[in-house]
Amino acid sequence: MTDAPDWSQISVPLELPEVKDEITYQRVVMNSGATWDYFPGHFDPAYAESQGHPTIFVNTMHLAGFADRIATDWAGPDSRVVRRKMRLIGSIYAGDTMVGRGRVVAKRRDASVDPPRHLLDLQIDVTNQRGELCCPVELTLQLPG
Amino acid sequence: MKPISYQLAFGTYEDALRMVGVASEPRTAGTVVSAARIQMFAATVRDRNPSYWNAEFATRTWGGLLAPPGLLMGWLTPPPWEPTGQPPVSAIAIRVPLPGTTFINAANEAEFPLPIVEGDLLTIVEEVVSVSPEKRTRLGTGHFVETLDTFTRQDGTVVARNRNTLFRFTPGAPS
Repeated sequence: MTDAPDWSQISVPLELPEVKDEITYQRVVMNSGATWDYFPGHFDPAYAESQGHPTIFVNTMHLAGFADRIATDWAGPDSRVVRRKMRLIGSIYAGDTMVGRGRVVAKRRDASVDPPRHLLDLQIDVTNQRGELCCPVELTLQLPG
Repeated sequence: MKPISYQLAFGTYEDALRMVGVASEPRTAGTVVSAARIQMFAATVRDRNPSYWNAEFATRTWGGLLAPPGLLMGWLTPPPWEPTGQPPVSAIAIRVPLPGTTFINAANEAEFPLPIVEGDLLTIVEEVVSVSPEKRTRLGTGHFVETLDTFTRQDGTVVARNRNTLFRFTPGAPS
């Protein structure tokens, strides 16, 4: 994260490094512990199966956190997520691997606020290990400067 | 099947429509934004961003350890047990009376006008924006419930808005 990109130097479009994360049972249980979301589909495999799922799955906040991590790992810790829009079209289950592929799709200077904000729009697709799209994300980062 | 621990409200689609446009009373988090929860969430998603871990860096950059944007909804999620013995107050989306026996999230859009930092005490106002007519999906039959949460901090400033769409349904293969 020492090589944070300079907003003025970024040319669009730009691919971000692919990020993979193995989601074990422990990680799904940590998800409930961290978010206080104890919907039983997130910790009780029997409940999840009764609802038509193969097993327990991570919640929206976990997917959001993964997308945010991909964005700010690349842009550096002085950047901040100011908007994120996500569609949940498939679930990430315990035993799956999340794969995040991001790219910068636009670069904007927002002069509607003072001082103007330097923004980057990213598209991040979260798929599972079978390449099935689970969560397409549109994310806007504010960069310093 | 085990009863769901969340307090789902049951009713008809017509009952649900009566809640559209209704904003909840403001609800304030039981505790302030804390380093412990910030770091447990960062550990869960394996995010090494020093904004969550390094108090000196975070204070210089944001005014305190930064609340991970992904954890936004978690700050107003009550603990799963409270000493009153009453079931925890659930999000407005699952208090909308509908027939569906369970739910899953379908979409979310969050905006963060200002950073939320350690020590902030957040208050939420929740509003039901829309309830769809009955739909069939691969999971079952039910309704999409769209809500809008507005988060303010202790000085009344809006720090986040969260628009969420949840699918409230009864499991079953589409016929």
